[in-house]
Amino acid sequence: MLAIFKREFLSYFRSPVGYVAIALFSFLSGFIFYSQFSAGSVNIATEVISLRAFFVIIVPIITMGLLSEDKKRGTDVLYYTTPVSLFNVVVGKVLAAFALYVIMFINVIIHIIVTLACGGDFEVGSVGTIIVFFFMAFMFITIGLFASAITDNQIISAIVAFVIILITQLISTIGSYAGTAITAVLSAINVSSAKAAGDGIASAIAWFDPFVKTQDFRLGIFSVSALIYLVSIGILFLYLTFRVLEKKRWSQA
Amino acid sequence: MIEINNLVKSYGDKKAVKGISFTVNDDEVLGFLGPNGAGKTTTMNIITGYLSSTSGTVKVNGHDILEEPELAKKEIGYLPENPPLYTDMTVNEYLNFICDLKGVAKDKRKEQLVNIKSMVKIDDVQNRLIANLSKGYKQRVGIAQALVGNPKILILDEPTVGLDPNQIIEIRRLIKSLSKTHSIVISSHILSEIQEVADRVVIINRGKIAAIDTLNDLSKRLSGQSKLLLTFRGSVKDSAAKIRTIKGVSAAVPRVVDNKIAQLEITVSASDTTEVRTQIFYMMANEGWPILEMRSLDPTLEEVFLNITSGKGRA
Repeated sequence: MLAIFKREFLSYFRSPVGYVAIALFSFLSGFIFYSQFSAGSVNIATEVISLRAFFVIIVPIITMGLLSEDKKRGTDVLYYTTPVSLFNVVVGKVLAAFALYVIMFINVIIHIIVTLACGGDFEVGSVGTIIVFFFMAFMFITIGLFASAITDNQIISAIVAFVIILITQLISTIGSYAGTAITAVLSAINVSSAKAAGDGIASAIAWFDPFVKTQDFRLGIFSVSALIYLVSIGILFLYLTFRVLEKKRWSQA
Repeated sequence: MIEINNLVKSYGDKKAVKGISFTVNDDEVLGFLGPNGAGKTTTMNIITGYLSSTSGTVKVNGHDILEEPELAKKEIGYLPENPPLYTDMTVNEYLNFICDLKGVAKDKRKEQLVNIKSMVKIDDVQNRLIANLSKGYKQRVGIAQALVGNPKILILDEPTVGLDPNQIIEIRRLIKSLSKTHSIVISSHILSEIQEVADRVVIINRGKIAAIDTLNDLSKRLSGQSKLLLTFRGSVKDSAAKIRTIKGVSAAVPRVVDNKIAQLEITVSASDTTEVRTQIFYMMANEGWPILEMRSLDPTLEEVFLNITSGKGRA
């Protein structure tokens, strides 16, 4: 696991990928910090929450090559024919991408130091937001890894990851549209509780929204169930990735 | 020692491997021959655990590749057709990574790597990026990768493909020196390549075993007849008729004819062609047809199959 982690993490810096991701994150976080700073009131929680909107771009960049490149180069043979287990391969790769996120996050830490040095506040409540940020990063990275496992083309893998992450960000909006549509259809055929059914559907879909689920953290409420939700989705995609790799050996097509 | 028992691999309706069984003994070099698409790579992929078989078993030194994969894989070093190289690493970084994957202990690592690097002669490129190496060096790094962890068995899938003649000779020499301490399975679609190094050959065609033989027996079986290629200047028709009259010649077929040269493919029924060649020389000289070239033709793999499968029975 350590071997895979080390190789994969260092390979970010053997190609432009690592630098591009770090530069992009630095620019985005710097820009958000700057606009707060120049307005005279810095709230780190707000910055971190705004940064979550950019998972959709940064995660596909850092995960697109994780497994697809191995297939293209033929190096995936090594994972199957050496005593290393596929589980370790998958976990090692996720950790490498996660470590890159940790490196990128140094930006925010610098911002915290600058804020404190200039006499600003760092609310303890922000720690919750930061924790959520990393749990979300883990979840989205496993989604990206899965997208990388199903193809040997980096671009396709990036697009698949982009679309899945985009859907998770729009999930509440999609839910409310679906709810409105169902209400409209049901009231057209004179069902008495049309509104209730539509709202029910909307909130059922919205239940899956990781961003709504973790809203409470902003208020300083530490919601373990939300974290468990993020981790569960992450483990689900880890498992799916593992199965995709396993299946390749058994493939009959 | 590898025991392969009734291996079958199907892709949908198509069967790539249809029930192959053979054994690789300790410290022998087994040539694995077959035309392109015969199922060589599929079989090797199954032996190494890269693919799983539809049915049948593979046992590596007693360990089943599916039931005890980690123990079985420790015994095998595999060089696939395309060496699994990370081109963004240097040779040293790469080999260290392979050591990590194969779980080579840190204290033994340095010595082992130095040995391997000098054995496959990649000392002088050890700090260069793999992306910048020539094809021959890449192949050697691929072999080095297979040697890491001191496996007892080496599986080499077409190790000389795409190399120039000098590199081929070097790789062959390397394989010979490795064969003293390893069991080696080496695949190829070129007969002469295997003849140099192998003790025994398994020939497969369309997913089935066509023959398992020692090299001596195989060449005896093939020695029923020999072929000569004769290039000269003169009339093809007349010369073919004349050559057919020479004792020991069973056929003479025109191959290439234009107004400058003529070429005949001559089949000789004896294995020793010296007498026939002498006679051809004098005859051609008498007729005033200058011989430009006369050489013996190696049997092609297709001819080997024909020979083996044409009712002579299996060994």
